[in-house]
Amino acid sequence: MRLALYVTCLVDLMRPSVGFAALRLLEASGAEVFVPEGQTCCGQPAWSTGNRPLAIDLAKKAIVELEGYDHVVIPSGSCTDQIRNIYPRLLADDPAWGARASALAARTFELTSFLADVAKNDPVASDFNGCVTYHDSCKGLRGLGIKRQPRELLLKVRGLRLKEMPDCEECCGFGGAFAVKFGDVSTQIVDRKCDAITATGADVVVGGDLGCLINIEGRLRRRGDESTRVLHVAEVLAGGGAC
Amino acid sequence: MALGKHSQAMHFQARAGEKIRNPVLQAALQKARPLFVGKRVKGIASLAEDALDFEQLRTAAKNIRNRTLADLDVWLDIFEARATASGAEVLWARDGAEVSRLVVDIARRHGVTKVAKSKSMLSEEAHLNEALAEAGIRPVETDLGEYIVQLAGETPSHIIAPAVHKTIAEVEALFAKEHGRPLETRTSADIPAMAREARAVLRQHFLSAEMGISGANFLIAETGSAALVTNEGNGRMVTTLPKIHVVITGIEKIVPTLEDLATLMRLLPRSATGQSISNYVSLLTGTKRKGDQDGPEKTVFILVDNGRANLLGSDYQDMLRCIRCGACMNHCPVYFSLGGHAYGWVYPGPMGSVLTPLYTGLENALDLPHASTGCNQCGSVCPVAIPLPDLMHRLREEQHERGLRPWSERLALKAWAWIAGKPALYRWLASRVVRYLNWLADGSGRIQILGLAPAWTAGRDLPVSSSRTFHELYSARKKP
Repeated sequence: MRLALYVTCLVDLMRPSVGFAALRLLEASGAEVFVPEGQTCCGQPAWSTGNRPLAIDLAKKAIVELEGYDHVVIPSGSCTDQIRNIYPRLLADDPAWGARASALAARTFELTSFLADVAKNDPVASDFNGCVTYHDSCKGLRGLGIKRQPRELLLKVRGLRLKEMPDCEECCGFGGAFAVKFGDVSTQIVDRKCDAITATGADVVVGGDLGCLINIEGRLRRRGDESTRVLHVAEVLAGGGAC
Repeated sequence: MALGKHSQAMHFQARAGEKIRNPVLQAALQKARPLFVGKRVKGIASLAEDALDFEQLRTAAKNIRNRTLADLDVWLDIFEARATASGAEVLWARDGAEVSRLVVDIARRHGVTKVAKSKSMLSEEAHLNEALAEAGIRPVETDLGEYIVQLAGETPSHIIAPAVHKTIAEVEALFAKEHGRPLETRTSADIPAMAREARAVLRQHFLSAEMGISGANFLIAETGSAALVTNEGNGRMVTTLPKIHVVITGIEKIVPTLEDLATLMRLLPRSATGQSISNYVSLLTGTKRKGDQDGPEKTVFILVDNGRANLLGSDYQDMLRCIRCGACMNHCPVYFSLGGHAYGWVYPGPMGSVLTPLYTGLENALDLPHASTGCNQCGSVCPVAIPLPDLMHRLREEQHERGLRPWSERLALKAWAWIAGKPALYRWLASRVVRYLNWLADGSGRIQILGLAPAWTAGRDLPVSSSRTFHELYSARKKP
């Protein structure tokens, strides 16, 4: 099985360790993993601002790069949602591109849903001594229906305890450009998320989208919380020293 | 557009900042949010007691609304014929100004000096209270929340809980002043006593008002009736005691049959307040008949367009399904950070972010379609499955198509997309950006002030964890 890992622009820039953790997990799951060279960004920033022509350009670029693989796996609910749910809509008026977009959408998976539901082998063989709370990111949860999969995988990690926070399905306030356009509103929202995380007493907050995690980590640190760790689910599942 | 002058929606950014810095408002909002959410959860769970499923029910509700909108003119004609046959009068208003003119005309013809109102958001669209006051007619809001808001000289900040932004202390100050009594210290235990106090005042208004004005949650075509859903009983007073009753509602509120109403009523109170049914559900048909104990001698329906017909057949028709339950705002992280007044016009929250630009002009509410994290908490609770984030997104696209986005944003996006289309250049630039961020972080693992995105670092740090991009590290690893 030829599998493409689409690392996302945010992981490329802000946290390469997530990409390497995903790579290790996918290899352990029995796939032959490729990292297509031309990948840059799925185009979500253009789409969410309302710039359809630019979003279409970048969608076509990604389709060309990714359509030659059996599966495409992305360590992000948000970018997966863009390819699975938005690309076919963006290109619906163009029969040829529309069909290619739909074909790619059907083969594209968010990392935890791929590992839990599609992968041949169980790749989780790590230890983690600590209490974890899980933040459901909006696009993963409401766009792709991902809820069970990350928890199922996390509970396979030896030593890991999961403690749910109240309102774990509440938005963290990131929202891409929203966090910059309406910085003060976004801060107000992420404050509520930080309160919920802190109240669990968990050592680590884990999520599947780096955007949310950078937002949460940035606010926790600004509030003076230096101890709560903020990790991508791939980093926990792959164990330490992934990079 | 006449409505534009009243809308403050262009000042969303500035108002949002004010609201965030208002600790009294924040306390009121943080108290209300879990109540709304918790009550709806229980209300929806209670559907199981009647062997009903939320998803099935909301598909049925969506279909009823879609079917009605597909032949809206037909259902409105049937409604008009049946309502007229039962003794009511049906008038049509193109916009808010026409609503006010019609109501003032009726009031003048019948020598009305005081109007008792039950809750009507459409009367807010029409600025009816201002028009009545200018004509020398006193409007008295009788919904408790609306009464509080009217005393404060404000507008509702929520469509079903108009005074949700007010604390008990603020309400006590208003009551003491208005009711001419000394100020007392109040806790939530005193709420029933405060409600009784308001009731005693309102009772006099119910008995002396010559005209009652209400909205309608639904119009039923087959019977020519208005359905009114309330919890305080003021709706019944307003619609039965005064000799004239005027119903003001939007043309989209119509449903074909009573059976359709029953389906929608399974969802409306549960989505709004979590109740399986509200305290009062009234079906109002025609005028007082021979032998009736009470009821108006004259009933007038004013059916209002005010922008609604323009949405039929447009990309935004789904919005006309809205049954005004408020669940979208109750589950909106942005609404509960700001309250309703920040949105600047009649409707707040996600439904307002769609309706305000559509009803008052896209160019008069540029921020609202962007005032969303895209979380879709609103769309997933909507009882008639309106894809609110998609509609906000379509408005963003229309802003782009009509050249309403700032040039700086357009240019930045264009430059970024051009670079993202050239992988080698993109890689090189990304590697420079990462080094720059790393230099700024200076070994601390974070950036506290970032000139490129000051709005980000105003409230939080930017964590920096690597001095190389993923692709740099990956290529280096691949090399033997």
